[in-house]
Amino acid sequence: MTSKVFLALRVPADPMRAFEVFTQEIALWWQPSGLFQVSAAGDGRLAFEPGEGGRLVTTFADGSTFEIGRISVWEPGKRLVFAWRQANFTAQQSTEVEVGFEAVGEETRVSIEHRAWDTIPRRHAARHGFPEEATLQRAADWWRSSLRALRGRVAEGRAD
Amino acid sequence: MSAASKLDRTLAALADPYRRRVVDLLRERPRRAGELAEGLKISFPLMSRHLKMLRESGVVEEDRDEFDSRVRIYRLRLESMSDLKAWLEETEALWSRQLMAFKAHLHKSRK
Repeated sequence: MTSKVFLALRVPADPMRAFEVFTQEIALWWQPSGLFQVSAAGDGRLAFEPGEGGRLVTTFADGSTFEIGRISVWEPGKRLVFAWRQANFTAQQSTEVEVGFEAVGEETRVSIEHRAWDTIPRRHAARHGFPEEATLQRAADWWRSSLRALRGRVAEGRAD
Repeated sequence: MSAASKLDRTLAALADPYRRRVVDLLRERPRRAGELAEGLKISFPLMSRHLKMLRESGVVEEDRDEFDSRVRIYRLRLESMSDLKAWLEETEALWSRQLMAFKAHLHKSRK
């Protein structure tokens, strides 16, 4: 286990079509999850503004909107990366979602990688003066072993 | 504090390699601040700052030594890790549901 989530699924479409439906028809396939609004149920109507720098926004029944995040990578048929904020996150908090599209015969393997705060690749700040890759790798390895070690003990309660 | 912002603080506290080593040492057993500073080969004031951040983010807690009340003992708080576990589980459940819905939508729109 690491501080990121990875899932993949094969879908009946070629990569271009899968990308198009994923981005342009998200309002039609997205299932309500209650993540973007503090009180009332429903996620609103989700929409991607196509292209890098575009936003993923949801619009609620009363017309108000919530920006879930900005798109940082937009490669139709290949890859999509966007920031992800939920209603209970503070303004500075953001996670990141990367969606991959890979042809498998006539179908497409769609993968989702949702990275927590500490595993988001740094485009902005340098961390501890270490090269970015090494730092991230170290953090990821650390999390993997720590969480494995702690897994059973969290269920039991305290460490000592 | 919401679970998300608590988790954010946990991750921020653990973004530093020294603080991750403190957690590694405390996983073995509770320890004194001086012992931790020695283990990491850093100054006591610097260690105090790291411990302060770990304490404020809920990753560790401090206690007084039962034999010498001037000495503080640090121990790991496992609850802080369970927030991360919860986030991972919720996020995984969210995307598996959304991906299934996406697939079902593609099936329908193909017909």
